[in-house]
Amino acid sequence: MKPCIALTKGRLEKQFLDFFESLEFDMSSLKDKGRKLQVETDDFLFVFAKGPDVATYVENGIADLGIVGEDILIEHQPDVYNLFPLPFGRCGMAVATKKDFEWPQRKKRIATSFTNIAKEHFMQKGESVDIIKLEGSVELAPILGLADAIVDIVETGTTLKENGLVIEEKFLAISARLIANRSSLKIKKDQLNPVIEAFKEGAKLTC
Amino acid sequence: MFLPAGSQDETGTLLVNRAKAYETFRYVTEKRNFKQISTPAIEYASTFTNRIAGMNLNEMMKWFNKEGEIEVLRPDWTTAIARAVAKQPIHQQKWSYQGSVFRIDKDGTESRQAGIEIVHANSVLGERECMLTAIDYLKSLHIDKYVIELGHTEIFDILIQSLKLDTTQEDLLRTAMHDKRRDVVYQLVNNTGNSEIANHLTELTEAYGNKDIITKYQDLWSDNDELLQILENLNNMIELIEATTDLEVIVDLGRVKNLPYYDGMMFRGFLKKDGSTCFSGGRYDRLYKYYQQDTTAVGLAFDVDVLASHMTDHKEKKRACIIASEKTHQVAEAFRNELTDYIVEVSYDEQVTSTFDLCYKVMEQDNEYKVVKL
Repeated sequence: MKPCIALTKGRLEKQFLDFFESLEFDMSSLKDKGRKLQVETDDFLFVFAKGPDVATYVENGIADLGIVGEDILIEHQPDVYNLFPLPFGRCGMAVATKKDFEWPQRKKRIATSFTNIAKEHFMQKGESVDIIKLEGSVELAPILGLADAIVDIVETGTTLKENGLVIEEKFLAISARLIANRSSLKIKKDQLNPVIEAFKEGAKLTC
Repeated sequence: MFLPAGSQDETGTLLVNRAKAYETFRYVTEKRNFKQISTPAIEYASTFTNRIAGMNLNEMMKWFNKEGEIEVLRPDWTTAIARAVAKQPIHQQKWSYQGSVFRIDKDGTESRQAGIEIVHANSVLGERECMLTAIDYLKSLHIDKYVIELGHTEIFDILIQSLKLDTTQEDLLRTAMHDKRRDVVYQLVNNTGNSEIANHLTELTEAYGNKDIITKYQDLWSDNDELLQILENLNNMIELIEATTDLEVIVDLGRVKNLPYYDGMMFRGFLKKDGSTCFSGGRYDRLYKYYQQDTTAVGLAFDVDVLASHMTDHKEKKRACIIASEKTHQVAEAFRNELTDYIVEVSYDEQVTSTFDLCYKVMEQDNEYKVVKL
């Protein structure tokens, strides 16, 4: 059976395909996949899913390897091998507010999709806050008055800027990472090692 | 009515397989001179959260009793048995158990285990008996496509000795090793100014595979007697397994303990079909020190739910039906004993016959009752 690699759909997908192509793997069938959610090449079976689901597929052994943002791994804590960072998907977490916003004299309200990351961040700072869970477009929350600030991923800052928000604080630099199922890594070592080594070389790890 | 997440009603093959797994386990362990032990489902949380057992209270099903103490549903057998066995006569060395453990984790609340504990025995003998019992038991269940993995907790502990890490740093490093997160392993150790050990531990995250790994590390660690002794112990165990079976054995020299009480060889079985872990265990002499016993202890637990879902040799018995009436029911009951290889049902309704493999009917002829095949 071919090794199964789960890929995060969207932003990371294109960056991964470029990266994989740079390692001299033939990615043409993936680039022309249309809306297919699984594609089989000569060497691998690729499945495409949302970030948290990539982690779930790998954790449950449906996929042997996965490419996923570190934000997902920190937020959801899947039981997988979290092998090493890949040279794409680089971004960070940030606290952002409306420009010239004055914090109210009460407990802060923070809107985010990353409730565990936000909670841990403010806990480390020794600050109690109320977290409001949103599924997306969190930039709306301060504008509409639902929250004082947001915690979200920031790559270029363009979305924040276009919505009149400014970064109050940056924390947690993240990138895409290679993850592996805990038993697949061992019992399929001969099949998985060549691709892991190729990723490692492509990632130009210094350690 | 709905059930809470993790709870389920069960019928059918899985349930039959699980009963067979328990029954076979009892048979195999009894023949190998294990004595059964059971502990209560409800215990004080402190039995499992003390500094040696070190389990996480957040993952336990818990409540306050009327004295205000926290009680839990048994989250782990080994710790509970150590508490119980510490009071037992020392001449009894081999214990077996079976039953549920309860943890709040992603796979549900209740899971079923069967396991063995060998206490006060010669260390090597105990480890070998654990492994051979596992092989014997899985063979009895006709499960033969699995890989045995060996590891040793002391490798990591010896290699980090000179780093003088505080508890927080050590926990972070152990977690990074557990996740084979090589960049973080390197960074954490390199930050202490030991780039050589940083490189060494980073490489160790990839020291898994067949026994060639042992040969490689025998060369690398040729000047460290403690590490060489560990490698020899692992090698001896591999030789024993290879001499008695044709199973694939792998090692992971970078494996670290996932519970604080482990302190020696660790073993695990992966099913080849889907990679699920069918047994795991290891040495935990430390656990008995908490109960003031300086002794040896080693054990392993089988995941009965995993075994039950992989048992394929279960053949449903054929089903027979005896059609009777209120008047002839006792004749049907007597005839039931002749159908020893069948599941037998007595029915008053002739319409049911199409659902059985074999049907009989109690007929009255000349004032006598006869059972005839339909």
